[in-house]
Amino acid sequence: MKRFLGNRLAISIFIVPTLLLYTVIVFYPIVQVFFRSLFEWDGLTEGTFIFLDNYTRLFQDHIFYTSLYNGLVFAAILAVLQLGIGTILALTIANASFRGKKILRISFFIPVVLSITVVCQLWLAMYNSEYGLFNKIFEAMGLSYRQDWLTNKNTAIYAIALVNAWQFMGYQFALLLAGAKSVPEQYLEAARIDGAEGWKAHWKITIPLMSETYKYCLVLAVTGGLNAFANMFIMTGGGPGTTTYTLTYLMYRSAFRVGEFGYGSASAAILVIECLIVTLAINRLIARERITY
Amino acid sequence: MSWAMKLRKKQPVFQAFLWMYAIISVYPLLWMVFYSLKNNNEIFVTNPFGFPTHFRFENYVEAWTRFSVPVYFVNSLFVSIITVIGTITLAVMFSYACARMYWRFRETARTYVIIGLFVPIQVIIIPLAILVRDFHLANTYAAIIVPYIAFNLSFSTMVFYGFFRSIPIELEESACIDGANIYQSFWRVILPIVKPAIATMVIFVFLNAWNEFTIALMLITKESLKTLPLGLLFFQGQFTTDWGAMGAAMTIASLPTVLIYIFFSRQVENALTVGSAVKG
Repeated sequence: MKRFLGNRLAISIFIVPTLLLYTVIVFYPIVQVFFRSLFEWDGLTEGTFIFLDNYTRLFQDHIFYTSLYNGLVFAAILAVLQLGIGTILALTIANASFRGKKILRISFFIPVVLSITVVCQLWLAMYNSEYGLFNKIFEAMGLSYRQDWLTNKNTAIYAIALVNAWQFMGYQFALLLAGAKSVPEQYLEAARIDGAEGWKAHWKITIPLMSETYKYCLVLAVTGGLNAFANMFIMTGGGPGTTTYTLTYLMYRSAFRVGEFGYGSASAAILVIECLIVTLAINRLIARERITY
Repeated sequence: MSWAMKLRKKQPVFQAFLWMYAIISVYPLLWMVFYSLKNNNEIFVTNPFGFPTHFRFENYVEAWTRFSVPVYFVNSLFVSIITVIGTITLAVMFSYACARMYWRFRETARTYVIIGLFVPIQVIIIPLAILVRDFHLANTYAAIIVPYIAFNLSFSTMVFYGFFRSIPIELEESACIDGANIYQSFWRVILPIVKPAIATMVIFVFLNAWNEFTIALMLITKESLKTLPLGLLFFQGQFTTDWGAMGAAMTIASLPTVLIYIFFSRQVENALTVGSAVKG
């Protein structure tokens, strides 16, 4: 058996392609991002080593702070809306018996499988200041309240975050539903006998027992927000001005528009570190002890 | 059950909220399908919200013929299928070797590949663009297919590894005693057992590849190689002039994934949420 499953040639055939591809396409570039962030580099020549100058420049760049702020706003909106509404949707479906549960599940989930381009174009149409769905609704209600949320620098980032929250709500819902179903029925029964019913029982029993699920959902929502790019690229192009920039947008513009690959790499490196810190912090704060049933 | 308990079990207030949210979730899509069948006058003035009064299928003909929708569609299909085949093949082999075979650094190798899960993919796009250029892959299908496969490896490996660990070792023992070699036992005994996992991951990887936007945007500039998510951006300029055709193109682009979801809704939900159980 040892010889059978220890066949050197077979092992090499099985592992080498994956290791090679992963190393070249994923791992080596991560190292490169950090390494190249220390260079002034146009992507063509060798570049000159300038140590931390890109970072110093970044910390003096007001677009960097806008990007940082927008990432956090985006993350906060996703976390609050998706986890808040997602919890209500998931727990109601999990423990109630009524007709149409399947239709509801499908309705919540459908936007998840759509391409982000379709979703963004669709919301562009909905936000359209003349013919958009929202303004048509206001019109139908007899209000002369006409708005262009995306070109208003105070509302643009919220309008974009709402689109992402809408699209991936179903995803968080599905995760939370799976989590809620894995909580053993007896716990809720016991709570009921002790006099805690309905949402009180959920608040005291189901939700705390789902802390692992919540941790995962929160990491997804927050890192998803920090990484936001496609939504603003399609809907506002970072504008109006630079008010909807994020770190990825800054990286994209620096490298592919202005040709400052080193500066773009520094922005990407900050993003990696930011995501890492947030993930670790969430893991620290929630559910320090693993719950086993 | 008393009347009050029944009412509580049904949670009328929450139920109403759920139906309301379902409308918020689906109506924008219906609105899109509706306006894909209308002309501008109906969309803007006479009937902005409701069912089209007259099905204008010419919008679909327009979208299909005038803009390069068929090209994008075929590109998306090709890229997604090759990505699925490549990812599944590599990940199944690798995770099998990590889960079942005897070699020294298998735990290290597995951890090394799983680290990829914690890296936001768009972060490494600058070095990737340079790599693609240096390998002379710029503006070829390989420029996006190879990264798609590589990026999907971490997640697929994690899922398959979990499956392989749950198979009893006696299967390989009996295959070995029956005189099969390692490849035969892998192909004929092990693979059939992990079919459900493969089906799940096929859906997962396909949806990922079909909808991927950021990498395609930064690595593909040639019109004839664009995938649907990228190609649809082209309409942005024409927006005000022809909403109907735009809606039709968007509906066409969404059809494959929506159909997959409607027919395999359980599997798709499992596929997309499978990570939480393992990763958590």
